[in-house]
Amino acid sequence: MALSQSLASLVLIPCSSSPSSSSSSSSLAVAASGQTFRLFLRSGSSSSSSCCSQFCTPHLSLFSSFLTEQHQRNGLRSVKRRAAGAVWNNVVVRAAAAAVHGQGESKKKVLIVNTNSGGHAIIGFWFAKDLRAAGHAVTILTVGDESSDKMKKPPFSRFSELRDLGVETVWGEPADIGVLGLSSFDVVLDNNGKTLEVVKPVADWAKASGAKQFLFISSAGIYKSTDEPPHVEGDEVKGDAGHKIVEDYLAGLGFESWASFRPQYMTGSGNNKDCEEWFFDRIVRGRPVPIPGSGLQVTNISHVSDLSSMLTLAVEKPAAANGSIFNAVSDRAVTFDGLVRLCAKAAGKEAEIVHYDPKAAGVDAKKSFPFRNMHFYAEPRAASTKLGWESKTNLQEDLKARYEEYIAIGRDKKDIKFELDDKILESLLTPVSV
Amino acid sequence: MAGMSSSFPGTVTSSAPCVAAAAGSRHSLPQGAPRLHCKASFGDLHATFEGMRQSNNVDKIGKLADKPNLASSPPVAYQQRIGRKAVRQAVVMTRALASGGESKNILIMGGTRFIGLFLARQLVAAGHQVTLFTRGKAPVTKQLPGESDEEFSVYSSKVKHIQGDRQDFDGLKEKLTGTGFQIVYDINGREGKEVEPILDALPGLEQYIFCSSAGVYLKSDQLPHLEVDAVDPKSRHKGKLDTETLLQSKGVPWTSIRPVYIYGPLNYNPVEEWFFQRLEAGRPIPVPAPGLQITQLGHVKDLANAFVKVLANEKAYGQVYNISGSKYVTFDGIAKACAKAGGFATPEIVHYNPKDFDFGKKKAFPLRDQHFFTSIAKAETELDWAPEFSLVDGLTDSYNLDFGRGTFRKEADFSTDDMILEKLGTKTVVAA
Repeated sequence: MALSQSLASLVLIPCSSSPSSSSSSSSLAVAASGQTFRLFLRSGSSSSSSCCSQFCTPHLSLFSSFLTEQHQRNGLRSVKRRAAGAVWNNVVVRAAAAAVHGQGESKKKVLIVNTNSGGHAIIGFWFAKDLRAAGHAVTILTVGDESSDKMKKPPFSRFSELRDLGVETVWGEPADIGVLGLSSFDVVLDNNGKTLEVVKPVADWAKASGAKQFLFISSAGIYKSTDEPPHVEGDEVKGDAGHKIVEDYLAGLGFESWASFRPQYMTGSGNNKDCEEWFFDRIVRGRPVPIPGSGLQVTNISHVSDLSSMLTLAVEKPAAANGSIFNAVSDRAVTFDGLVRLCAKAAGKEAEIVHYDPKAAGVDAKKSFPFRNMHFYAEPRAASTKLGWESKTNLQEDLKARYEEYIAIGRDKKDIKFELDDKILESLLTPVSV
Repeated sequence: MAGMSSSFPGTVTSSAPCVAAAAGSRHSLPQGAPRLHCKASFGDLHATFEGMRQSNNVDKIGKLADKPNLASSPPVAYQQRIGRKAVRQAVVMTRALASGGESKNILIMGGTRFIGLFLARQLVAAGHQVTLFTRGKAPVTKQLPGESDEEFSVYSSKVKHIQGDRQDFDGLKEKLTGTGFQIVYDINGREGKEVEPILDALPGLEQYIFCSSAGVYLKSDQLPHLEVDAVDPKSRHKGKLDTETLLQSKGVPWTSIRPVYIYGPLNYNPVEEWFFQRLEAGRPIPVPAPGLQITQLGHVKDLANAFVKVLANEKAYGQVYNISGSKYVTFDGIAKACAKAGGFATPEIVHYNPKDFDFGKKKAFPLRDQHFFTSIAKAETELDWAPEFSLVDGLTDSYNLDFGRGTFRKEADFSTDDMILEKLGTKTVVAA
């Protein structure tokens, strides 16, 4: 009949027993007119995923009316009627759920190998939450021991939040990943290694244990400096950079899908490393904010949720993401001076900017300022064109929220020594002889 | 492809920008694109490039060379790029004719100075009927550098002209009434009120396409500028903003294009000219400190392409698009790029603080002393448009077809340079 023909494209496979569950497809069982149809919603490639979304919604009504038609036409006995009705409800609920959770893609089992410190630690925390919200199963393997002092700092100190969401939290060494008793995963993210030595055991194990997709958190710091910003995917990188060597190795391993994400500076709740806090420390105490050079240097301060949404999209569109480098940053950059102004506004205070030359002041710019003293500016063009990703963050708004947390934890009352600041300010008072 | 000459203005140019490799197939030529025989004589260019670039593979003209990884390989042979550029142009033309189908009756306000020169030619080549409205100060048609005699003759025989002063609103309206133009490209409009007589005279107008400016954006700490960003009602480009607002209120389908700094052969604004003049004279290039101000240059041919893309394009109705180069560039970077383009040695760049000087009415530097750049992602996504020229390639095109031939719009004036160099104690280089 016409309805069944039109539904044929949804791959109705008559079967009498439950098929072995394939991890890459979800299925709905329907009983009608004495025959069980198992409806496979194919997923795994971006094109079929998007097809599924078209199948799901318009055809759902066809499907349910098909059931009704069958039901009436064949005069089902009450038992089958109940079964059909019950399963029909199941279809409606599960299809609706699939539609909500990303248009019919299958749910994945994802392993995040997470660093135990530093600016990238926060990525695993937010990514795990995003994945759970999208219905995927998540295990987060943090490097080292659960009992380590490092675990007292955010985001690790907040891992109970992850467990409450159903994330499995484990600890261990990446070199031992094969013997930690982990099951196999569909997707593995390495958010830890900076060199091949550290990532190789994870990547090799992922491949051997059948992971289909491997994601790597690299760094935008490997781009060669340029007169023509921004850093765009495909631009030259430093050949000897550890992250680059890892990327090349991953490309050759033969995963169904692999991708590398190059972040810059991140802000967000649960950050392991200071970002905007450096600015708040000075603004809230009414201290001048010393900025090296002209203050016109441009950089990316991205809210980590932009990164986690990008990663989640890559998990849900593995074909589109395959073989790609992604600059993991939000779509706006900010100048150093501009960031001071945004932080001041977030704090509702005035800020005084003082420019200085690190050499003349006798300070190491790497220690006296939290960001590289140069343009360090990338754009997320690949994510936009390949994944259809969009930034959802607003730095001014995000800084307001960060400031509220800054105050809530009492950091404004913390006794901080501003030795380098004082040295800088001193040097500016001394007249420089020409 | 029959009769499609490859030596369209811009034949003697270079091809895909450096980001081609990253964007993948989007910038590459379609498979099976036809081979063309470039008619332009490359003899003199050949000589210019001897010893300066890799071997010029003259026999590769018109053939599809392997697309190199432009991001990391040495400069591609010039002739290879010309061949690919010519093919790309031909494909653009074919698409222009094929898509959107019908030929339109188009009015260009302007068309004899810079942007319009290239736009008019692209439109005529695409089969549209084009009329230029100018005061007639400049010749209505003038052969462009790089344009063959044949091409120029075809163009000048097809393009039409209405003479008049657009500031004479009554006269303008009268001249346009009954003409039945379907599309207006307003390339030289400055104030909102200049649009009214045109709209009044053309009640059946299908689209008003306006050349606005990224100068309307309100200065911001967060960059790049996106089309949705706040605009500055007090900017020097207030008139452009008023025009956009007026068009919005009128109900006619309209599209506004916001370029940043436009460059290319015949540029009358001293953008690249300013740098080339100093390089030619062997002078240091004084740049306002710190020299890392970021801006954006867009080639005039890419801009003309974008204007053609919005023609009769419903997606573009009521929309504003930033149009410029794919990558941004620092002030120091422009100096270096111009040096590369003209085959000069790495320039000596001298930084100064403009606040330490009083230059009077003179401009010591041609660009605004601030970050100033926009994202072109909206146009790339919605219009299927992309800039063809990388910065160095585009400046090379400009140099080869114009400034490197000894032609300039303004006489070189190094008086402000000398003020700067004197104060900084740098020895002034005596011009040869």
